[in-house]
Formats: sequence, structure tokens, C-alpha cells
Amino acid sequence: MQTFAYLRPSTLAEAVALLEAHAPDARLLAGGTDLIIGLRDGSERPRVVIDVKRVPELCCGIRDDGGTVTIGATTIMADLATSALVRRHFPALAEAAAAVGSAQIRNRATLAGNICNASPAADTAPPLLVYGAVVLAAGQHGARRIPISEFFVNPGVNALARDELVVAIELPVPAVRVGAAHVRRTRRRGHDLASVTLCAGVDETGVTRLAYGSVGPRPVLKIDESGVLADPAASGAARAAVFDKLFAEASPSPRSMRAGPAYRLAMLRVLGSRAVQTAIERLGEERTNG
Amino acid sequence: MADTLPVEMIVNGRRRAIEVPVNVTLLDLLRDELGLTGTKECCDVGECGACTVLVDGRAVDSCLMLAVEADGAEITTVEGLAADGQLSPLQQAFLDKGASQCGFCTPGQLMAAHALLQENPDPSLPQIQEGLSGNLCRCGCYFQIADAVLAVAQSGQEGGRK
Amino acid sequence: MNAARIGDSPNRVGGRERVTGQQMYVADIRLPGTLQAKLVTLDCARARIISIDKTAAENLPGVSLVMTAADLPQPVPRFGPQFEDRPVLAVGETKYHGDPVAIVAAETAEIAAEAARLVRVEYEELSAVYTLAAALAPDAPLVQDPSLRPKDPLAGTNVLREHRVGWGDVDSEAADVVIDNRYSFPIVTHFAIEPHSFMAAPEGDGVAVWSSIQHPYWLQKILAKILRLPLARVRVVAPDPGGGFGGKQHTKYEPIVAFAALRADRPVRLILSLEESFQAARRAACEVHVRTGVRADGKIAFQDIEADYLIGAYADIADRVVSKGSYPGAGPYNVPAVRIVARSVLSHTLPSTAFRGFGNPQVNWAVESNLDEAARAVGLDRLELRLRNLARKGDAFIPFDTACDGDWQQTVRRAAEMIGWGQPLPAGHGRGLAVGIKSGPTTGHSYSTVRLLADGSVLVYAGTSDMGQGARTIFAQIAAQELGAPLDWVTVVMGDTALVPYDQQTSASRSTVLMGNAILRACRSIQEQLRRMASELHSVPEDQIVVENGIVRLPDQELTVIQVLKAGLGRMGGELIGNGESRKDAEPDHPLQGSAAFFEFNCTAVEATVDEGTGDITIVRHVAVSDVGKALNPLQVRMQDEGAAIQGLGHTLMEHYIFDDKGRVRNLGAIDYRIPTSMDLPLEMESDLVENGDGPGPYGSKGMSEGALLCVAPAVAAAVREASGAVIRDLPLTPERVWRALQERDGKEV
Repeated sequence: MQTFAYLRPSTLAEAVALLEAHAPDARLLAGGTDLIIGLRDGSERPRVVIDVKRVPELCCGIRDDGGTVTIGATTIMADLATSALVRRHFPALAEAAAAVGSAQIRNRATLAGNICNASPAADTAPPLLVYGAVVLAAGQHGARRIPISEFFVNPGVNALARDELVVAIELPVPAVRVGAAHVRRTRRRGHDLASVTLCAGVDETGVTRLAYGSVGPRPVLKIDESGVLADPAASGAARAAVFDKLFAEASPSPRSMRAGPAYRLAMLRVLGSRAVQTAIERLGEERTNG
Repeated sequence: MADTLPVEMIVNGRRRAIEVPVNVTLLDLLRDELGLTGTKECCDVGECGACTVLVDGRAVDSCLMLAVEADGAEITTVEGLAADGQLSPLQQAFLDKGASQCGFCTPGQLMAAHALLQENPDPSLPQIQEGLSGNLCRCGCYFQIADAVLAVAQSGQEGGRK
Repeated sequence: MNAARIGDSPNRVGGRERVTGQQMYVADIRLPGTLQAKLVTLDCARARIISIDKTAAENLPGVSLVMTAADLPQPVPRFGPQFEDRPVLAVGETKYHGDPVAIVAAETAEIAAEAARLVRVEYEELSAVYTLAAALAPDAPLVQDPSLRPKDPLAGTNVLREHRVGWGDVDSEAADVVIDNRYSFPIVTHFAIEPHSFMAAPEGDGVAVWSSIQHPYWLQKILAKILRLPLARVRVVAPDPGGGFGGKQHTKYEPIVAFAALRADRPVRLILSLEESFQAARRAACEVHVRTGVRADGKIAFQDIEADYLIGAYADIADRVVSKGSYPGAGPYNVPAVRIVARSVLSHTLPSTAFRGFGNPQVNWAVESNLDEAARAVGLDRLELRLRNLARKGDAFIPFDTACDGDWQQTVRRAAEMIGWGQPLPAGHGRGLAVGIKSGPTTGHSYSTVRLLADGSVLVYAGTSDMGQGARTIFAQIAAQELGAPLDWVTVVMGDTALVPYDQQTSASRSTVLMGNAILRACRSIQEQLRRMASELHSVPEDQIVVENGIVRLPDQELTVIQVLKAGLGRMGGELIGNGESRKDAEPDHPLQGSAAFFEFNCTAVEATVDEGTGDITIVRHVAVSDVGKALNPLQVRMQDEGAAIQGLGHTLMEHYIFDDKGRVRNLGAIDYRIPTSMDLPLEMESDLVENGDGPGPYGSKGMSEGALLCVAPAVAAAVREASGAVIRDLPLTPERVWRALQERDGKEV
């Protein structure tokens, strides 16, 4: 591993100042499950590594602010997957977090890291899109709120300015009842990178939100307001027509060795309809429990 | 030469204060500086689990962690499982159930299993298989490893800690 | 005290070291003053080396040496177990992605890696062949310099050798149905969790070399020749490999590390990354064209098999894999006419080598799958067709080889019973059953020395490598059984050619039989000495004394070995030393230069379901039954069978190399080369044994370690076909491939 300066700020202001001073030669280190691989294989050669795990503003865990759940940037996947709060309000996010890597990876990988890498295959992205998350960013010029749907730009590129970092992710507790499910496609059942990652959320007003990734340059959110997908009695043809529209943007790479484009496109349909079905079932359970 | 930082950590119960190059992983620190070669190196990308150690009680891939990140942490490696020459229940169960063939993945499996049992003292077979899926065993001892973990769970000797 | 004997399953000898982290693998051994080495490779497969500039690398502080082919004795020594075709470093041309052109040794691994990047190689990329089709094309660039095999008519092609074996007349044998298909088997790699590791150090007037190797004595021989040293000055230390599976049988980078250590006059170690290990060893891909002729009564009339194996740029042991792996291709059946033509085809890819199953799984996949189609064609149950053709004990099913040496019907019936063959299946489930056979070792030569020490404890010297199969435990059990010592009073000394007598190799599931017999003979020699001792001590004629299982039986009393030993050695002490040898000599006229010491025989049966939407296969139940003669340690036998089965599921379901257009492996390393995890297993797995005590090894044992891998693929594919109707003749059975087959089944275009 090449050498670099390792800096460990203890306040947000310090972190922002360091980032400002050293960008673009600086990389932020949170869980490190991607960065350290890059440092070792030489694909990442920053002069400065800023470890943000001890910045208190970033690691305040998972907080219920009444109507909003705020997840600190350095919250690890394992905590996300097992958080009672997340499981109650955003079960598909917990599901996605539990699907990331192995137990060892989930003990290091952070939510902010997962989204900041802006991998099209990021598993937490689809549920965050479905639940309408907002990214809280801080920089030299202050804080701002970025809707998650505007956060992913291209593979490896997010909407943050050079001197900005993610402080937390905010999730609005849904005002209506929602059933949601996260599903993914991999080459084996054990931990693997997703060749399709998808989340469906069906609410009691009949709106279906479908977010999916790994089939284009960025994860995307599509909304079916027609009520067709949410209607278990809708005809197969009607549902297929809606899926046609929702998946029209998918453009899986022909160069991937993980799955061919035809398969990925077909799996979008399969996973989409399975996730919607599970989401509808869960919505039913919500009603019963509610 | 690389920048170094002073680091303090407790390794297998022993306090260590070391000057560590910042670009060294926890795995390299344990193996090369502290001589704890029980922790193994294989894939270097967090896929195989051979380098699994406990950091503050949680199982992590030590190849994906800089040594300086462990400043202030408590580390347990496979060398820390047996006490006074007495194997932990989990180590003994690995022997009794035939859960180790070539043995190269065994330290990582033990550490991951140990963490699993700490978190869930009574896991089901699927929970064990999920919990240990980050530890590859090419000899294919997976069923025997699960047998060993189940045996310890059923004996109530949680986590293999006495 | 551990009273375990033959047939018990004591804790693994060496197990305590494994669970405490005390087991020392090569990378764990540290010598003072050791230099860290790194290989320099190019970013393509085949290239002409124009120049190599070492200056920048040599000037980096901490770099001790940079060596290229020019720094080696000229002509650069070449080595290989079968053909001496592999140079110590690439000479003039690289032949595969990963072929090293230089080695760097430095004070730290980091400096070595940096220096390796600073070695400037000017090169011109050359056209190359990575597939069978490309390698066999008429105008294909040649992988091997024809001057390396001057009298060989194939020298102008990429076919290294063609192996023909058979009997009867395939072309005139009458058949009612002929099933004609092509199958493919991908390149897969061993993925031992311990990456290949090497170290060398000057020692006296010679050299000591540490290697995670299965065949230390073969390595010693090669090093002695290359370094022009007597065998006695080449010491090979072979700590237990952290998994071998065939990938660590043969010499790889030990010669260059030894040259570097001798030049630096310091220890040099080279620990490969997993990615580099992936470039050092792999299984040969294979395309098999098989025509199976069957009569209406289900009798196989003929098997006509053409198998092209894609081997690498250097032969390693790959051509032997091709000849020995294809040889029993017609299976354990009585087939009147067989024609097998197998070719080893060179390519600009990393060298292929031995891998558990040794070339058999490739042909087995094709032939067993074809038999299922034959059964369907003649309207016969797939199990029944196999039983009708299966050789019976004593049948010369391969006319010029060892006759059928087991009750194979029993094995197959047991597996069928365990999977519930013929019982009703839930909707969407399917079953498959296949048999596998492999020729055991065709030659062998093992020595052992056993020392019964004055207190009754025992030292066993055995040159076998314990890479996880558990040889050390079996050997200790044999000595404990014969000499009456508690198991924990037996120490097995292995892994050092300077201490331990010669053993030819650790492969072909041989060690229980060949080394086991050598140890047994050494123990029996000690028993003879004890008999003589007891005869003198008690004035009883030797022929009235029996020594067995640790007991010395005189006409009027029974004594323990220790009692006789202590009295016999007297106050001066001493020890008894026994030597044992076991050999299986070559048979020059045999197609494989030797008949099988035994056959490994396995029957695998699975029940599976298929997710119609995604193509995912779920193996509901997987059973494996092996004929092992006698299980000396039943738990270890089960571990070998289940481990082999899971390894077989890897190449069946998910493993394969993917090359890019420069001949680079795209999925190098653990992220994109997927092997089974604990979540990728059958929901149930069960193994069972057939023990008729009819093997040539100690107590009637046979070798077993590969059997349960041989026929996993055809059994799974058959279950998938019955469950879903998907027909697949190319491995692995990835979800995507199954999904495509389902689309084809439904007549949909993909």
C-alpha cells in the first residue's frame, strides 16, 4: 500500500476544513470496505486519508425525531439491519442492509459509504429511493439537503461538492401505510454483488414506488400512480404494460461478466413482480397489525 | 518511509502501545509486527474471511482495516481463544466434529463463529450458515463447522468463553 | 490417553494446532534477514520481450536484487514434471498473462511491490490463442517452440499429444440408438485458501527451500538438477499445505526463488497473492464429443469419445491429466467397443495442472449425461440402465487393466435408496444419479521409518503432505494399532526431505494405501524384532510367539509391547527401528504405463428444484456413496466425501474463468470468481460408505478423496432436467444459463 497522511478529525468543522484543504487529493475513510481495497491495489492513490469515524456529528446512530428518522453517516450496515426503529418504519432498508456483504463486511461498511461510492449496484439505494430519503451534507459553505433521487449521478460520481461530506441520511416516516420489499439477484446465494437490486413500496393509496439499480449508470426511482401494480386483481397484461414503462430506462451493460443484459432485463420483471407481490402482502399485514 | 502514528490497543487481553505506519492493515500488524500468525491472509478483499478477528467484540476482516483505525480497540485473535492451554468449547467442538481439514480457514471460522454465538447463543442451521457465509472453506467442511457451532450452542457454553 | 484404533474417529492429529492458530504454514515461518520477493509480469498474455530496464527498480532504496532471465545460467534452465518446457523466468517471450519476466527481492513486501512496478519492460504484444477453436485453427500461432520437440510430428501444431485408447470395434458394433452430443467443461481453479507460498535460503553448500507443495521429493529432484547440486544438498521443507487439491503438486516458482536466495546470499520469500495463485494453477477446460450406442435392451454397445482439453502454455502435469483422466472415460461399465481420443491442446493461458479428479470429471460430465439421454431414448429408467451395464467384481471392464475391484452394484443401490429413487416426487422436483470412477495410482514408491522408543512412544516418518486429507491421523492410527501405543504417544514426522525418507508424491488418493502399507510394514518389522526379543527373554521359540495389535502373545502369557520392549532393551535403553517400503512399479506396455492400484468408485444422487423465474437451482438433497474398502477413520472419510462433493458443486453451479481479448482472466481473485459459501449448499447432504475390506491398503482400505467430486455435475444436471425440462450441456449451470435453457424449452428467443 502506498503511503498517505492519515488524519482523524474529531469534529465536523475539522473534517470539513480538512476536506476543503486537501480535496481533491483526499479520500474520506468510513468503513473502508471499498477504499482499502483500492489503496492496496493502487487504484486509489490519495495523498490524504480522512477517517471520519470519530466525528461525533456523523456517528450519532439512528434517531427518531418524530416523523423523521435520522441515520448517522457512519452507521454500519449491521446496526441498520438490526435496528428496531428501521425495521419498524423502513423494513426494506433493513432487508437491503442485511444483504450487503458478509457479517464481517456489515460490521464495517457504512450507510454513507454505500451511497457515496455511487455504485449502480448499491443495495441500500433502492430502498432509500422508495422511502424518499434526504441526504444531509455539510461543507465549507454550510449544510444542505439533497434528495436521494438527485444524489446518484454516474458510476462513482455523487452529487456532493468536492468539499462536502455526508453527515446523515434522513428518512420521513411514511404518512400512509406502506408495504415494501427489497430483492436482489446474485450469482450465488452467499454474499455477492447484485446484478439487479430492486425495492418496491406499495402504499395504501395504491401508489407503487419501484427503485432499481445495477441495470444502468445509476439507481433510479419510478412511480406507478395508476394503481395497477398495487391491485392484486389487475390483469397480467396491464401489469406488464406498467412494468414496460417503469423499466424503459434500464440499460444494463453488455460488458459485465456478472450477468448478460437480456438476463438482467428479464430479471427486472421477475424481481419487480415478486417484490410488488411481497410488498402488497406486507401492506396487508400492516393493516392487520395496525 | 511511511508516516507512523502511536496506537494503543488491547490484543488478546494484553495492552499494546505501538508506533504503526498508517498504511499498514490490522492484518499485517498482527502477523508481521505482533507475530500473531494464527490470523491468515488469503484474498485481501474481504471475501474469504480467513483474516477474521474480533474488534470490540465484532467480527471484521482485518485485511480491510488500517491498523491505525484500531487505536483504542480491543482485539481478539484465534490465539486469544484458549485460556491457560485449555481449548475453548468452540475449539474443542471443531476438533470433535471434524470442522477443520487443511486448517487454513479455521482461525477465521472460529472467530466468526465466536462472534455469532455472542450475538445469538441459540442459532438455527440457516442462521449459522448465513452468519458464517463470509468465511470460505475450500475443503468443504461447512456442515461439520455448523455441527460444531450447534453443539456448542446446545451445550449452553455461549460463545466458547469460559 | 487416547486409545483410538483403526476404525475409530479420534480428533485429527494436528487438529489442536489448527484450532489454536499454532499450525505453521509457509507464510507463517519467519527467518531473520529474509527478503520479500515480487514477480514482474506483463499486462497481456503473449508478448515479445524487447528489453528490460532494471535501473529504476535497482536504485530504489531497500531493493536487494532484480533478476531477469539474463541473470540466470544460460541457456536458462527449463523444468516440468512431464516435459522440461518451462523456463525459470520467461525467455524472449511471455506465453500467458502472469508469466513472470523478472523477480525483485527487497527488504519489505511494499518496497518489492513498488520496485516490481519500476521494472521497465519494453515489449511487443503478439497474436495468441486462448480457446480450443483458436488453438486448433490451421493458421494458429504456435504456443510451444517446435524445436523443443524436434522429432514430434505434432510439433508444428498446438496439439501437445494425442492419446488413443480403446477396444472392440466401435464402427461395426450394432446399436439401436446412437446418442451424439457435445459437452463443455470450463476452466476452474483450485482456490486453496492458502495462496501458494515459497521461501529459499542458502544452507551450507546447498539450499533449503520451503514450499506449500504436495510433492516435496519431486521438487527436490528438479531443484537439484537445475541448481546442479546433489540431492543431499537440496533440502525441501514442506509444511502442511493450506489446501492443495492438486494445485500444489508440482514445482512453480521455487526455482526462481532459490536462484534469488543464492544470489542474494539471504533468505528470500515469495508469498503469492490470491490473484497470482489464480495465475499459477487451474483445471483444464474440456470439450467432449461423445457418441453412445445403446441396444434396445439397455446394453451399451459402444462409446466413441473425443475429448479436447485446453491446457496452458507450459505442460506442467497437464498432459498426464489428459491421458489418465480420459482413459476410464467409458465408465465402470462393461462396454464391448470403446474408442477414446483425447488431445492436450496448448494455449496462451496459465498452465493447467492436476486438480482433484485429475481430468476425469470433464469426460464423466459428458458420458454420464449422455447415458441419461440413452436411457430416455430406449425408454429405460436411468438407474436401471446403469445397473444393467455396471461391471461386476472381477470383470475386466477395461480389458488391459485391473479388474473391477469392488461391489459397485451395492454402492449404486445404496445411493439410489438414500435419494429415494423411484419414490413419488413433489411437483417441480427432479432427481439425478451418476457414477464416477477414477484410476488410482498407476505407479508409486513410498518409504517409511518407524521408531519404537524406549518408553513405548512412537515416531513415524512419512514423506506424505497432509494438506487437510488427514494423512497424519491415519498414519498415527496405523502405528497405534500395530504397536499398542496410545494415539497421543505417536508422533508423525513429515515435510522435510532432510529428515524423512522418500515418498514419490501425495496425489491420486494414494497415501492411505501406498504410504499406509509402508508404515504397516515398518511396524511389522518392529513386531518381528519384538518377537525375537520375547523369544530370548522367555526362552520360547519364535514360532510360538504372536505379536499383534500391541500385544505379545506367548504360549502361557500375554505381554504388552512396552513390557517386552523395556525388558528387552534393558538398562542401556535404545529403541527398535523398522523400515517399510511399498512400491508399485511401472508397466511399460500399459497405456498409462501402469494399471490401477485400485479404482475410486462413487455414486452421487441429488434431488433438485428450479426457480422457473430466475433459473436458480436448489439442491434439496445430495447423497454420495463411496466404496472405500475399509474406513480407517470414518469421520475423515465423511469429511473427504462431503468436501469433494461441495467442491464439485462449485464447478457444477458457478465456477469458471472468463478471459478478455488480451488473454487476461477478467475474474481474477475472490470478488468475481465465485465458489460455494455456507449458503450455497444442498439443503441436506448425506454420505455413506461401502466397506467390504477388498482394497489393497492396510486393513483392506482403498484410496478415497476424489470420488465424490467426479460425477456431481451430471447428477445435478439430470435432476435439473427432470425438474424443469431444461437441457444444458455446458458447465457451470449458472442461474442465467438455466434461465436461457428454460426459454429455449419454451421456444422463446433470448
